[in-house]
This record gives sequence, structure tokens and C-alpha cells, in this order.
Amino acid sequence: MSALARFRRSPEGVIGLALLTVLALAALLAPLLFPGDPLRIAGPPLLTPFTDPALPLGTDRLGRNVLAGLVHGARASLIVGLAAALVAVAIGSLVGTLAGFAGGLVDEALMRVVDAFQIVPGFLLALAFVSVLQPTLPVVVTAIALGAWTGPARLARAEVLSIRERDYVAAARIIGMHPLEIALREILPNALPPVLALSAVIVAGAILTEAALSFLGLGDPNIVTWGSMIAEGRAVLRSAPYLSIVPGIALVLTVIGTYLLGEGLAAMLSRRERQA
Amino acid sequence: MTSLSRRSLLQGVGVLLASTALPAFSFAQALPTGGRLVVAADSEPRNLNPAIVASNGVFFVASKVIEPLAEADFEAEGGLVPRLAIAWEGSDDGLSATFKLRQGVTWHDGQPFTAADVAFSALEVWKPLQNLGRIVFANLESVDTPDDYTAVFNFSKPTPFQLLRNALPVVTSVLPRHLYEGTNIAENPANTQLVGTGPFRFAEYKPGEYYRLARNETYWGEGLPHLDEIIYRVLPDRAAAAGALEAEEIQLAAFSAVPLADLARIAQVPGIEVISRGYEGLTYQLVVEINHRRQELSNLEVRRAIAHAIDKQYVVDTIFLGYATAATGIVPHNAPEFYNPEVPQYEFDIAKANALLDAAGYPRGDNGIRFSLKLLPAPYFNETRQFGDYLRQALAEIGIDAQLVNNDSAAHQKAVYTDHDFDLAVAPPVFRGDPAISTTILIRSGTPAGVSFSNQGGYESAELDSLIDRAAETVDTEERTQLYNELQVRAGEQLPLINVAEWGFITVARDTVLNVGNNPRWAVSNWADTAVQQ
Repeated sequence: MSALARFRRSPEGVIGLALLTVLALAALLAPLLFPGDPLRIAGPPLLTPFTDPALPLGTDRLGRNVLAGLVHGARASLIVGLAAALVAVAIGSLVGTLAGFAGGLVDEALMRVVDAFQIVPGFLLALAFVSVLQPTLPVVVTAIALGAWTGPARLARAEVLSIRERDYVAAARIIGMHPLEIALREILPNALPPVLALSAVIVAGAILTEAALSFLGLGDPNIVTWGSMIAEGRAVLRSAPYLSIVPGIALVLTVIGTYLLGEGLAAMLSRRERQA
Repeated sequence: MTSLSRRSLLQGVGVLLASTALPAFSFAQALPTGGRLVVAADSEPRNLNPAIVASNGVFFVASKVIEPLAEADFEAEGGLVPRLAIAWEGSDDGLSATFKLRQGVTWHDGQPFTAADVAFSALEVWKPLQNLGRIVFANLESVDTPDDYTAVFNFSKPTPFQLLRNALPVVTSVLPRHLYEGTNIAENPANTQLVGTGPFRFAEYKPGEYYRLARNETYWGEGLPHLDEIIYRVLPDRAAAAGALEAEEIQLAAFSAVPLADLARIAQVPGIEVISRGYEGLTYQLVVEINHRRQELSNLEVRRAIAHAIDKQYVVDTIFLGYATAATGIVPHNAPEFYNPEVPQYEFDIAKANALLDAAGYPRGDNGIRFSLKLLPAPYFNETRQFGDYLRQALAEIGIDAQLVNNDSAAHQKAVYTDHDFDLAVAPPVFRGDPAISTTILIRSGTPAGVSFSNQGGYESAELDSLIDRAAETVDTEERTQLYNELQVRAGEQLPLINVAEWGFITVARDTVLNVGNNPRWAVSNWADTAVQQ
């Protein structure tokens, strides 16, 4: 069975892909659907959803369009989620591969660094990092990646440890390839699939971390994010709960979608074929 | 004259009052005695000594234990009622002020209260150590005590008695000399374990949990206090205060501990009252601070354009949900003694603002932006942050791109008042009854960098500075008021900063709590006449 067929046979993957496609479309088309600043004041404050067709999800305390915020917020969430996961997977697999392949002292040293990062809760690390520097998008991405790269590093190292004993690695050594070349060209590509499957979880985690940071007022105040929308809505939770619920639902759907897609990817990448 | 204006002040806030039920007014005889009042506290100040830290957070707890010479009042002549002083008078030359003190008052540890305590507090604490006392008592030279119940303050330069009188409730918390003399005052244990003359004794403090104040059985006020004890429950989370009130875990939440957006809902809950009275002497002002070092902002036309771009009514209605008043100038409506309505106004007019900017030589670029600014909203209140969000949008309408920078309190103060790393900032200064201790520091040039809540925008005007300096030494009340009237007009023309709105806080209480909000500084007064219906 081909990989694609395996993916299609996993309902999780298909649902996840559908959810994320909608999200990605919203993110891509945001400037067309809602041109201008989504934080612009668009109508009367605290308009309840489904009362004004021009403002289908109502407005927040300052009269800003909730739907516009939601769609533009999707961009921030996706950008942060993907960028953070990319950075985390890149750093993690690189460190993991080097550690696993080199072994010995290098391995010990690198893995103790990984330990050091794993001891500190990722969210606290991000919190400290963002509050020291200014909360701009690149800083937030780096902060989240800082806490997330250790997972891929450990996984990659474990994979490498098993791969480096394979025959083709031995063959590469014998023909005189540079060890670094072997690590990066022979081993890393083969160690990647399980790490990539893990990346879906990292994306989901990164989106949640970003939302939590924005909720605590440590996001970039000049862009709209779901976390900051929930935080804004919190002040009026009792009188206008939809302000927190709507972006909350978006967040839940995104994380579920990412997670399901990750499941589908894992099924697709698994070496053993699944029997239906 | 003053009592008259106090009355007009009452009418002024009538609109606000109309929206709330007046607290139950009962005569002292009919008030129940005994019982415990549990109130929400949102902060735990490290130094609780009101003679050193004259701030609302400290007064909220400490004013029940340590008393000032006089307290603000709605009806009394001159707006003041006696506390530890029973009479006060300034000399015509402004070089001395005489206070007759109350007899038969004892400290909570049993020692008698005398003029020596006042002299010690004034010379050793208020003048050298207190944030506001440093200004009010800057020229205080000595305090004579001809007898145990008379204190004569001598000044090296004329000090307006009008200023002294207005500052009395805030700057004159009297400390027990016998506990402080010869010690390191700033580190004295009595700064946290307070000893005073007030209606309540400081009983207990559990960090993170509560403060407990207990009835002072030997209080000088006859039949006072009514309560047996007051508990301040530490509830840093604002949403928690509303919930705790509804669950009857607390009976009162002052200082807008219940968010404005929640008031309409909680007012409907049976047994709960929303009270806006009692903060008239603690008016906060919503101000846009301007960094005049920035070339665009040093241009008066640009500042006027920004003033025209702000819809004050929207700010009052939407951000403050009506619990505020649009500002007209640098002195708030709630200071009728000084308030001058005849100052230049900048009505909300986007077209005019755009025209001003075009004429000033800042045309819109291809992307519709004239120039970019860095905007730092103060993080202390929800409302200041929300106003920051609004101001960014309002400026976008006139082609100014404002980039918001959010900081925590410490970083905000450093950025604005020390590093001057801002173009516009949103600040909530407090009006403390007299421009000399509230307003002028925001305008006068020459304050060294690092002084929080002062003019750090680099604004310098010889004209305004000289007005401020003259007023500081003018003893005659009428003449002094006149100078401040002129200052308001000049500041309105020059816009060293832009005043947007003025607001007081809101108290939410169970209706069993009586005499809530019955003086202009109620939350930070002594609560001797507050009672709880059993």
C-alpha cells in the first residue's frame, strides 16, 4: 500500500487535514477577506454575534470585528506554530544526530545541555525569555522553540543510535566519507520521519504556548492573536462570554486538527503496513 | 466659598450618583455596633507606613490605624473635618501655620499623643522621607511646640496655606515619636506593625492571606468605631472579587476591584450595591504624555492634531462605560476650587486633524502613513491599556502609525521616566486636591530623569515654568487660584500633555454595609463610622 493510501485510510488524518486546510485558507486570505487593520474599530462595542450581518461574530469591548480578529489571528497562530516547530525540529534533529553519531564526550555534553533545557518547564522558559526581550513575533517564536527542541533531539539521537550500526553506514565509512557528511547525508534523512511525526505535536504545543503568552499580555500588542482575544474577553466573561469562547473554539479546533494530522502522518510514515 | 464649591461638586457628580443607590444613611445613634467587615485587598504594600508612602494602596489599610491632622469632608467648612488637629490657621505672610491639637488622645500602646509627635513627624518623616511631603514641606524650617497641644510650623519661604490645607488629609499622618526617635525610620518595624491613634489597632498580617485590624477600645471619638474588626482579604485576581462578593465571602470591594464591565451585571444581584460616591478627592486623570524631544511632536500643530483625533466621549462611554467624565484641561472638574472651564478645547474632528498635519508639513506617504510613533500605555489599569489600543486606532485615522509597546510596571516606568524611550505614553496621574502636588510636576521643566510620574517628556516653557513658580510662593489664596487658572489656559494652548478623561473608582458592597462613601476620600479614610448590619 502506498504512503498516500495509508494516509487516506486513516480518518484522523483526513479530518485533521480538512481542518487545517480551512485554517490555512483563512490565514492566507485574511488580507483579502478583511483588508486593513483587524484591530480597527468597526462598530458599536459588545455587539452580540449573529445580530448584524456585517459583523457576524459581533464586536469586542472597543467595537472591533471579532470575525476579522479571528481570521487574522489564524495567521499569527499558524505562523508562530509552524515557525516554532520548524526551528525546534531543525535544532533538535541536528543536535540529536550529532550526539548520536559522535557518541562519547560529545554525546554526553550535548545530552546534558538537552537535560538542562528539559529541567526548566518550557512555558516558564518562554515567559522569561519574552519578558526580558521585547515581545515581537521572532522573539516569541524563538522563545517557544527554546522549550520545544529537546523532544526532537532525544528522538533523533535514539534513531541515529540504531541507524549508525546499519550496513550502509559502515559502507559509507569504508569508502572514506567524512563523518559529518555521513551524519548529515546518510543518517539524518533516515532518522527524520519519526521526528517529523512528532512535529505535529510541537506545532500544537507552540500554538497553545503562543496563546498563553498573549493571554498573559506578553504577545506582540500590534497584531491580533487568539490568546490576546481571549485575554481581552476575560474582563467581560460574565456579560459577554462569546468574546472568549469564539477564539477558544478556534484554538481547540486548530490544535485538534494539528494533532489529528500528526496521527495521519504517523500512520503514513510507519514502516509496517497496517492491516485493515 | 469652599463649602459652596463642595456643594457644586456634589451636583457635578450627581449624574454619576443617579446611577447608583445612595448608601443607606442612618444617624450615628441608629447604627449597629460590633461585627466584622471583610473587604477585598488587591495588593500588599511592602511598607505600610502612610507617613512615608502617601499612596492609596497604603492608605487603604493604614488610614484606619494612623490618622492625619484633618480629613476631607463633603459638608464641613473648608472641606475638612478635624482629626488629630482641632483648629488650624496660616499666617498672612505664609511663613507659619498653627495647629491646635486634640487633647486626651492616646497611642495604641498607651502613650499620650502630644505636639512633640507632630513636630517629630513633620521634621523627621514628612519633609525628608515622604513622596508628597517633600514638596509640601520643602521650606519647613522648624516646628515650635509652645505647649503639648499646639504645633507651630515655621517656613523659610512663604508656603501657601491653601496648599497646606488641601494637602492635610494626605501628607499629615502622625507617627508616634517614642517608637521612631533615634531609629532608622525607613527600616523601623513599626512600618509594618503599625502603631497609631486611629479607630482600629493593627492586629495581624498573614502575607498572601489577610490583614486584620481590631477595634481600638480607647479611641477618642465617642461611641466610635462601630465595627469590631476589619479583615482585608488579599484577592489579587479581579474576577475573584466579584465572585467573592456574590458568595458573601467579602462584603466590600473598593477601588474598582470589580471590573467596570461587570458592574451592570452585579448591580442586578440582590443585596449588592454599586457605589461611585466616595472617590471625589481621589480623581484619576487619563493623560497622553508626549515626548517633546521627538521632532514631529515638538510641533504644536501636530499635538493639536492628535488632540482633535481623540474622541473623548467614545473613551468615556466605551472604555469607562460611562463611569468617567471627559476632561477639559489639566485640572479636573472634581477640584472646583481650581477648575477653569474657560480653556481651549479640541473637539473630535478627524478632518481638521488631517488638515493640521498637512499644513504642518507631514503629508501622507504612499502607504497613507505620515510618520510612526512608539506608544507606551501604562499597565496599571485595564482602562489605560484599552485606551492605548484605542489611541493606536485613532492615530491611524489621521495617518500616524503608532506601534504599541507593552511593558510591566517596572519596565514601563524605566522606559518613560528614566530612559525617555517613548514618543507617546498613556498615564493615569492622580489629582490630590491641589495643583502644586499633582499637576505642576507633569508640566514644570527641570525634574531630573528617573522621577516617576513627572514631566519627563522634555517639555520646556519659560512661561509655564514661571507661572508654576509664582503660584508656589503666592500666599494669597485668590491670587494663587488666579495663577493656576492662567496655567490651565496656557497649558490648554500649548498642550504639554493631552488630558482625555477623569475618573473615580467604584465601590461594590453588600447592602448590609452602612455609611459607605460618605466622604470624598472614603476608601482611604478611617471608617470609624462604618457599620455592618447583623
